[in-house]
Amino acid sequence: MEEERVEESKVRVLIEKATNSTDSEVHPRLLKAIKSVVRNSDSELRVAAQTLMDLMKFDHSQVRYLTLLVIDELFMRSKLFRSLVVEKLDQLLTLSVGFRRNMLLPEPAAVASTLRSKAIEFLEKWNDSFGIYHRKLRLGYDYLKNTLRLQFPNIQANAMRRQQERMERERRSKEILLGKFEMLKGNFSSIKEEIQSTLDEIKECLDIVHSKEDARDMIPLDDDTTEEFRSVELRQIRLDALKGEMVHENHENKVIFDALRELYKLMSKHMVSIQEWISVLVRVDSTDVRFRDSALREFIDLQNSLRAVKRKCEELGCNFTENANHDDKDEDFWEEGPVGPTKNGGSFTSEKKNEDLVVELTSNVIKNADNSKTSGGAHVDNVVKNGEVCCSNSASSLRNKLLADAPVIEWGSFLNTWDSRTDILANQRGLELQSHWGRVDYDATIPAEKIAELNVRASLYKEDQPEIQPCRAPLRKGGLCPRRDLKVCPFHGPIVPRDDEGQPLNVSSTLDDTTPDLNIGSVEQLARQAVKNVRLRDKEAAEKREHDKKALKRAKLAKIREHNAGVLRDAALASTSISSALGENMETGGEGTGSGRNKKKTLASMLRKKVSTKDRLSRRLLGAKSSALTKRELTLNEDANYREAFPNQW
Amino acid sequence: MWKDIRDREAGKLRPNSFANRVKSDRTSSLQLSNHKDIVSPHRGSVNSLQVDLTEGRYLLSGASDASAAVFDIQRATHSEGLIAKHQCIFAVDKQHEHGHKYAISSAIWYPVDTGLFVTGSFDHHINVWDTNTTQVVVNFKLPGKVYRTAMSSLATSHMLIAAGTEDVQVRLCDISSGAFSHTLSGHRDGVMSVEWSASSEWVLITGGCDGAIRFWDIRRAGCFRVLDQSQSQLGRRPPISGWTANKLSTSKSLLASQGPNMKSRIPHKKLGNGNATKPSSTGKLPAKGSTRQRLHPGLLSGQDRSVSHYGAVTGLKVTGDGMYLLSAGSDSRLKLWDVESGCNTLVNFETMRLQTNKPLQLATSQDSSLVFAPCMATVKAFDMWTGKTSLTLSGHYEGVNCCWYNFPDQFCNVPQELYTGGNDRQILVWSPSRNSTELWTRRIGNRLQTRITGATDCRQQGSLVSMVIPTTRLCSPCT
Repeated sequence: MEEERVEESKVRVLIEKATNSTDSEVHPRLLKAIKSVVRNSDSELRVAAQTLMDLMKFDHSQVRYLTLLVIDELFMRSKLFRSLVVEKLDQLLTLSVGFRRNMLLPEPAAVASTLRSKAIEFLEKWNDSFGIYHRKLRLGYDYLKNTLRLQFPNIQANAMRRQQERMERERRSKEILLGKFEMLKGNFSSIKEEIQSTLDEIKECLDIVHSKEDARDMIPLDDDTTEEFRSVELRQIRLDALKGEMVHENHENKVIFDALRELYKLMSKHMVSIQEWISVLVRVDSTDVRFRDSALREFIDLQNSLRAVKRKCEELGCNFTENANHDDKDEDFWEEGPVGPTKNGGSFTSEKKNEDLVVELTSNVIKNADNSKTSGGAHVDNVVKNGEVCCSNSASSLRNKLLADAPVIEWGSFLNTWDSRTDILANQRGLELQSHWGRVDYDATIPAEKIAELNVRASLYKEDQPEIQPCRAPLRKGGLCPRRDLKVCPFHGPIVPRDDEGQPLNVSSTLDDTTPDLNIGSVEQLARQAVKNVRLRDKEAAEKREHDKKALKRAKLAKIREHNAGVLRDAALASTSISSALGENMETGGEGTGSGRNKKKTLASMLRKKVSTKDRLSRRLLGAKSSALTKRELTLNEDANYREAFPNQW
Repeated sequence: MWKDIRDREAGKLRPNSFANRVKSDRTSSLQLSNHKDIVSPHRGSVNSLQVDLTEGRYLLSGASDASAAVFDIQRATHSEGLIAKHQCIFAVDKQHEHGHKYAISSAIWYPVDTGLFVTGSFDHHINVWDTNTTQVVVNFKLPGKVYRTAMSSLATSHMLIAAGTEDVQVRLCDISSGAFSHTLSGHRDGVMSVEWSASSEWVLITGGCDGAIRFWDIRRAGCFRVLDQSQSQLGRRPPISGWTANKLSTSKSLLASQGPNMKSRIPHKKLGNGNATKPSSTGKLPAKGSTRQRLHPGLLSGQDRSVSHYGAVTGLKVTGDGMYLLSAGSDSRLKLWDVESGCNTLVNFETMRLQTNKPLQLATSQDSSLVFAPCMATVKAFDMWTGKTSLTLSGHYEGVNCCWYNFPDQFCNVPQELYTGGNDRQILVWSPSRNSTELWTRRIGNRLQTRITGATDCRQQGSLVSMVIPTTRLCSPCT
């Protein structure tokens, strides 16, 4: 009996504790505790239902909101609780939806509106799942929906509609697939034939080319040192290197290659279409399974053979796409500029390199300009190219240079006379004024120099603010560090360029970028760079190690802290039954304990936005501490008086 | 329950009292029925409900959107899972060419059969409808809004509709001639409630907005009694046998011969027993009768001004045996009057609030032990003789206007149910809870199920039940 009462009070205390908070959710541990306590016995569930209904009457929306959340949790789980709550459903709805005009929802308006929407949502949910068992639930739902015409979220109906839409979509796509399948069935043989014929042609072409090339290749290969090109890869590289010359050298070859190129294009198109057909065949669920399987098999075979042919083509070293571009002779030619020299760098002198670099610099400008003049082939000498570039683009480059020098000036009327050398009539203003100051010389002019003098603009030096880059180091809670420091972020160290995920852009990659340039330079430079690289890498590794260590330490600390918090929470929970019962008593007696008062304050603070001076004063004066102090002082005074009055009686 | 059955088996309990006990048990366990929904077609508050008196099967409802509807309460139109939905068989509303324009305040069945029904409306009209063709047969134009209409269920020699209107005069509309046959004047304000006596076909009781309850004998001019709330007696009269009661109530001259001794009895002694089971007593009536002789036709002017409620009388209900009258007033009081003596019995019905601006429809259980009264959004069941609340039925979300208690006849083929209609447009069904009494429940439960599916005949089930409880057949002396 005694135990049971303790337990009962525990449920009540737990619920009161759970609802006495300013959060937008019930504390999950408390909720769990409530559920586990309630699960054990029906009497506690009854107590819980009673307590919750009492709490719903509390004159504070926040409390009602949290109570409603708890009610929902229990409602979805316990039949007994449902029957208990449904008995008083009209009351619950009145208190949570606030549809009666004389019983509106209490104060914090924001919470009240969420309370209302949540209550309506819950009611709908309850009605959907338990409506058939409880007439009152149906009645309440019906009343709110059809009589008061409140807006229900209609979750289930929406879900159903979405489902239906999806089904519809699926059905439509299936129809389309089926249509495609039928079409395929109709002209399967023709498709197959077409592809097969392309394949055959390519094979033939390849055979021809192969025979010729083999004949061609063997000769230079024999000429060169045979040892080097034994392995296939090296030979491949060699072929790659020689390829350009090959294409352009023999004209009888070219016809075949053109045909091959055409066929190659066709083949890639076929590949795509076969892929599509295969996907159609895989996805369609047709009754004609036999045809489907056979077609699928044949398509896969075709695909494989196409792939094989393609590989053969590529092995041959005919990179057709590149060649096609090459044939078009558009501006992409210029991209080869820097590549060409590096490829066969050994045959050029270092002086030419520099010129090449110049070309590379200007090429950006050139690319946009009309470069019809540079229609020469790849065999055009680099030097000639350089000269051509210079002469063809001198005008535009001059303009660019001038533009770079020109000052930027704000727009104004003075620009009308900018740079004009003509004199200006002084008295021709278009305004006929009767001058009273004597005769007017209408032909008076102001010399241009004077005008220019008058139009001299003063310009202030404006320091252009360099944009300080954000640190962008990844944060632990997600996102990037938004701090903007000049050089060093106090949290994440020196600011380095980082990618979108906050990882520092790899230094090695930048090195890779730079290496070709350096490669061009002398060996010393290279060595120096290497040393530098190694040092840099070492430094970085050390930094990283340090960073890792720090992070590890931090993680450890966080773990420990978390654990501690958990332990403390557990302890607090375990001791609730006694300590908060104590607090409860104290509160009913008069002033609450520290924690209780704290909670009250937070709830009350939701109600009262501003604390007036009066409140502050009264709190100061009427607080427990001060009142106790005054009491003691008074009693002391009284005591003193007494002692003074009756010195012989104490 | 089991004890009762054992007693019955041993012969300790008389069949009647056993049946009554079962019935009152069931009545006291009324709750919102989860298996029977009436799908209300009304778009306004439901003002009036009545189940027909012949079969106990068709529920007639009148609502303030000028619509009236008839439901079959025994056979569901369709069912969703376990829930049987009763949709209306037909409904008449504003769209009907002869329909009412404004709210229907009262809809009643023709007491003899279900071929006719009568609706009274705020558009000053009373329509008599043919149920089968849903056409207006007779139409009466009254001088004011019609609050309440009533037809006598006992009448064999007249077909009069008593109409309480905004007007001070009560009019009796004769269906057979299609004209007003009587105009009863005496009230000083509109008449909100009208009720025929359950013991005499000539006696009409009206309650007005002036707080007076008047008794009229329609064979003679003027009213013969005005109930006075200051005239009171304690408790009930001693019971008399049904036959003498009927005779006594019809012949008022006998009242004078009653002795002056006032008998007051402790009310709960009689609870639960039909009055026929009691041995017939001497039939002593309270003392006030001596002056009654010369009241009618020339009623004393002082008595003519007496009132029974402060404020309007919003509801009247005569008990099944015709000996008592219940009245509800806008002073939020229920009063129980002794019809014979015209005295207030001083039963204190527990504190409550009543709707004041609308006529209320009260209901009693069949042995007159319980009163069902709409109290704002709830219906409360009071014990008739002590005034204690025995049940509070809450299910409506707005005020309740009317209730009708349907009790089983001798064949038990009518569901024992309470119907309530409220301002929230709903008509709710309250049925005895299924787990109140096991045996009864099992039987009735099965019976209800089969009835819903409509597979078996009602009569057969009636005999089934009477086989289980062989004495039920004998148990209705007063109906």
